[in-house]
Amino acid sequence: MRPFTYTRANNKEQALQAFTATSHYLGGGTNLVDLMKEDVERPDQLIDVNNLDYKKITSNDKGGLTLGAMLSNSETANNKEVRTNYPLLSMAMLSAATAQIRNMASNGGNLLQRTRCPYFFEVSMPCNKRDPGSGCGALNGMNALHAIFGYSDSCIATNPSDMCVALAAIGATVEVQQADGTSRMIEFTDFHRLPGDRPEKDTTLSQGELITAIHLPKAEFSDHYYYLKIRERSSYAFALISVAAGLQVESGVINKAGLAMGGVAHVPWKLTKAEEFLAGKKPTTENFEAAAELEMKDAKPFEANKWKVDMGKNAIVRALTQAFEREV
Amino acid sequence: MKDIDKWNEAVDPDNLSDDENMILDAMGLNGSSRRKFLKQVSAASLSIYASSFFTSELFANTMKDLPEKTTALLNEIKVNIKVNDMVKPLTLDSRTSLLDALRERLGLTGTKKGCDHGQCGACTVIIDGKRNLSCLTLAATCEGKEITTVEGLAKNGEMHPMQQAFLKHDGFQCGYCTPGQICSSVALLEEAKNGEVSYVTEDLKKVQSGLSLSEEEIRERMSGNICRCGAYNNIVQAFKEVHTGNDEMPTWEFATQEQMDKAKNA
Amino acid sequence: MTKSINTSGVGSAINRVEGHLKVMGKAKYASEFPIENKVYGQGINSTIAKGEIVSIDTSEAEKLEGVLKVITYKNAEKLKTLEGVRPEIATDTIAPVLQSNKVHYFGQYVGLVVAETFEQAQYAASLVKFEYKKDPSAVIDFEKSRSKAYTPDNDSNYSRGNMDQGLAEADMVVEQTYNTPIEHHHPMELHAVIASWDNGKVTAYASQQIIEDAKIAISGTFQIPKKDVRVISPFVGGGFGSKLNLDRHVIMAVMASKMVDRPVQVTVTRTQMFTNTNMRQQNEQKMRVGAKKDGILTALSHETLSHTSTTQEFQEPCGMVSKMLYNVANNEVTYKLIPMNMQTPFAMRAPGEATGSFALESAMDEMAWKLKMDPIEFRIKNDTQTDLHEERPFSSRLLVECLRIGAEKFGWKDRKPEPRTNKKGNWLIGYGVSAASRNSPYQKTHSKVILELDEDKVFATIQMDATDIGTGSYTIIAQTASEYLKIPVEQVNVELGDSDFPITPGSGGSWGAASFCNGARAACENAIKTLKNNRNIAQDEEVAVSELLKKNQLTKFEAEGMAEPSAEFEKYSVFSFGANFSEVWVDKDTGMYRIKRMVNVASAGKILNPKTAYGQIIGGLTMGVGMVLAEQTRVEPNFGNFITRSFADYHVPVNLDLANIDVIFLPEEDKIANKMGIKGIGELGITSVAASVSNAIFNATGKRMRDLPITPEKLIEAGLEEGVTA
Repeated sequence: MRPFTYTRANNKEQALQAFTATSHYLGGGTNLVDLMKEDVERPDQLIDVNNLDYKKITSNDKGGLTLGAMLSNSETANNKEVRTNYPLLSMAMLSAATAQIRNMASNGGNLLQRTRCPYFFEVSMPCNKRDPGSGCGALNGMNALHAIFGYSDSCIATNPSDMCVALAAIGATVEVQQADGTSRMIEFTDFHRLPGDRPEKDTTLSQGELITAIHLPKAEFSDHYYYLKIRERSSYAFALISVAAGLQVESGVINKAGLAMGGVAHVPWKLTKAEEFLAGKKPTTENFEAAAELEMKDAKPFEANKWKVDMGKNAIVRALTQAFEREV
Repeated sequence: MKDIDKWNEAVDPDNLSDDENMILDAMGLNGSSRRKFLKQVSAASLSIYASSFFTSELFANTMKDLPEKTTALLNEIKVNIKVNDMVKPLTLDSRTSLLDALRERLGLTGTKKGCDHGQCGACTVIIDGKRNLSCLTLAATCEGKEITTVEGLAKNGEMHPMQQAFLKHDGFQCGYCTPGQICSSVALLEEAKNGEVSYVTEDLKKVQSGLSLSEEEIRERMSGNICRCGAYNNIVQAFKEVHTGNDEMPTWEFATQEQMDKAKNA
Repeated sequence: MTKSINTSGVGSAINRVEGHLKVMGKAKYASEFPIENKVYGQGINSTIAKGEIVSIDTSEAEKLEGVLKVITYKNAEKLKTLEGVRPEIATDTIAPVLQSNKVHYFGQYVGLVVAETFEQAQYAASLVKFEYKKDPSAVIDFEKSRSKAYTPDNDSNYSRGNMDQGLAEADMVVEQTYNTPIEHHHPMELHAVIASWDNGKVTAYASQQIIEDAKIAISGTFQIPKKDVRVISPFVGGGFGSKLNLDRHVIMAVMASKMVDRPVQVTVTRTQMFTNTNMRQQNEQKMRVGAKKDGILTALSHETLSHTSTTQEFQEPCGMVSKMLYNVANNEVTYKLIPMNMQTPFAMRAPGEATGSFALESAMDEMAWKLKMDPIEFRIKNDTQTDLHEERPFSSRLLVECLRIGAEKFGWKDRKPEPRTNKKGNWLIGYGVSAASRNSPYQKTHSKVILELDEDKVFATIQMDATDIGTGSYTIIAQTASEYLKIPVEQVNVELGDSDFPITPGSGGSWGAASFCNGARAACENAIKTLKNNRNIAQDEEVAVSELLKKNQLTKFEAEGMAEPSAEFEKYSVFSFGANFSEVWVDKDTGMYRIKRMVNVASAGKILNPKTAYGQIIGGLTMGVGMVLAEQTRVEPNFGNFITRSFADYHVPVNLDLANIDVIFLPEEDKIANKMGIKGIGELGITSVAASVSNAIFNATGKRMRDLPITPEKLIEAGLEEGVTA
């Protein structure tokens, strides 16, 4: 690990003031410290923001909840308001990593999780995300676990977060503190970005911006929800494919659907077409299959990850089915 | 090599630490037997194994003798590490993980380095009541935190019930993941009491405190601690026994002569 | 506190005698000895698969605070090097390192940085700049390198009868290829060493399975007398074969200690555990099985294509099971190896059996399905009490009992033979069975017993250079001494893992328990025999060992003992046998599956301690579950590195992957094997587990999965919706 100075910030002003172009904010550290040990992340200053007072869960003016950015994933997923009103979010968060890591990982940090692409991790191999201009090793290498949507010639990596898939399905807003002391709101679908020719940028955050809160809209999917995570072992593994499915069903008709997919793109992949298709339709297997088909027909898999298309279809249908059939 | 000498010092039977007495108690060695056994240990002066049992130096109370500072530290930071109810002021390299601070600076090698990247759970410690990974925790962030390692679980000369259960149910083989498994299990007892949920919890909305965890729940919640020797089933049994208070029965048996005869003559 | 006073000898399920230390975090593993003045070494790995180092720039690293030395081939001590073309790798092989600018595989050690702190050593290692000249002829793609395969010159090819004739006689033939990937041992304890060089004498606290061979390898590599080397390894945090031989980090640490005149600690990183501490190689196993309609086998051939390194040779004996498990007159076993630019593969838990049994026991299941026979009856029909390969009888073979008793325990009769007929919601449910066998060697072992009298109690200390890698050596040796000295086990102290103690074969190859315990027995018996002889007491007279010491007017007495295979042993073929049963639930939508329960029946001679023996079996089963579920190391086709480079990429089983396991031990003592009737159990558990699970997956889904691991994506590709494709 490269040497760095450690600065503890006691309030946001200190944090923002200490920030330089080569600094990183330190939250739970579960991803950042790992990547520093791998020599992938190379900050020369860590600004510890764990003491900042963003650790509450409060009601917001949209009738939803606001989650403090520095609250741990465990505390958030276990919060009574969260698990009763947003069980889809709790379930997704609980599917991730392990109890130990969830105790450490912060909500803000989870949004900034970097890809698990092995070319990104191994510093001797090319990777445009880690080392812009060095090329994408995965493009003509081993890409069985890579993206099938939205990738570019520069990068075919996927976003590894589970929490973010649920947030995409629910439709959250991210609040960030800007360097000038003001704050701004970012729609969740605008928070992460597709790689294009700047894969080194995972998000639309500007330099030095600090995530302070995640705002959830009024709860819509507290009765019909499921987070399906397909992985190589039954726990403690990143998703091969995951689907967050929330349904609002009234008198046998879907009022609203919230759907997003993990493990398929550089961002949590919001399934807007399927959501729109399902609105006003009956929650039948046929409709679920049609919705899945509508999304997956646009997939552009590589030879090695064609399986993701079939698995993805199954996963969408299955998650919707489990969400619908859940006993209310 | 000079360093070996310290392993060869005679053990003073009148001056044992609590931990040493505890181990001897557990072995059923009392009075003159204990005296004799200790004499034998010093006689077998080259035995690293024996001295690892008994040389006082290995035990936690030696923390105060360790240097607060070493050479070649970059971006020095001062932290008061509070571990197992003792406070040790340390000057550290800002890069030092809590795991390396414990093992390399405080002599608390009970916490293990299995991967150093948060992918195995061997380094699990309890920080402010919660299980955490010490390999991904920078020691610099630990000021003011209460850390409990496997060395700090025993109280008043008695092993923690979870340690006893692991011993009874053989919840380990090589023993390397064991401190992490035990710290994780101890923290999990509290998580269950607090009504914390998991991915396999049937209904996230209906959970109350004082959970009685199913086997599936225990397995999911203990999946952050990898045991390559494969003692998972024994670990589950050990946890269950402490969690429920009911004795767990072994799942091995010997075939009877009747079964043998029947099988042979079928 | 629970006073677990252990008063029982051999056969009792006592708690591990060293268990207190492990649950309290007091057991000392290699990197945990508080050696004063120690410094830290960090290995540097090559980033090309083949070529030469053209230049090295150490300046940036060297000027860092606290950096004491950067060692590369340019300033490394000259060591003994390997001779000949690809010499065979063995447990006592020398381990030369940093001897030239040649790079033979990605991840080969090309340097070591020594620094005052771990943090600086790691950082400095990243600053040493190597410039390479890549050799494009690197062999890194198994598929594309078939033409380079050669037949190893070690007499491992074998045949009996006439394979063509056997196939001609057959009514049914199964001809299929089974693939197993590169796998890694990954013990939880990272390989580590603290080494000191002091006036030509070496002390190494090293995590090793075989102390004597580690000592031989150090003395051989540095060309110093064996007596000047001491290896200490009281606790080993798992090995599974990866710590059988001495790896190069130990040599680098010793060399560095000599250069900086300080003790040097080197801990191998988890990523380096992929490239620098052994692996199981990829195997492509082609099986041809012929059988008559009534289920009698007529032909069996087992061809293995595998790889070794370009510098050393290792052949995993995958075909061993096919030579001895069934009664088949016409049999052929062949091997071919591709020299590849990768580290030399070496033994991983049950080398040969673990992988070979996947091929054989899958093929047997395929044949049973073709014959419409029950797979258990099919196996029983082809049972043999003679090892047709060795042309000797088995010392004992209770495979039929294993299968039948296991079938009853498991409820095999409830199995639906037709695939895809047992369903529950999204789940397809299947049952699978497989037979297991594992060679049970036994080797020459020395031991010492020290008896001390205190009033009426005798305290015994057993010393030997054996290791306990989690196998329970401390415990079963203590139980043995308790048994043969007739004293309570808590009066026995066992001291292992030090090269100053009598020589044993160490831990590996399932020989540990039989060898160590018989060695300890021999020392105890010698002690009693001598004490009796000295006082003219008849050998068959029952006298307590405390009385014997008193009669000899001794308060302390030492004796040595040695045990080795008898002439009788050589006339038999000695194997442990077992049977595995699995119930597997496959999710038809996701391809994920859960192993719901397993039954294992083990016929492994005298069970010294059922508690630790159970641990060995479930540990083997868990690793077998890993083989089938997810474990695979994959090679990057353009760079030749392992793309799976961490525990996040290489998935070993977690707690939730396991389920209830019932183990039944057969009551057996194999006195031909050795005097105590012990056979090996450490590797029996992993053998054929993968086949029992994949056979269950076939029964559940109707899809025959022949490539390990069986991952969700492979099952989705196979198509779980419908149909049986045998």
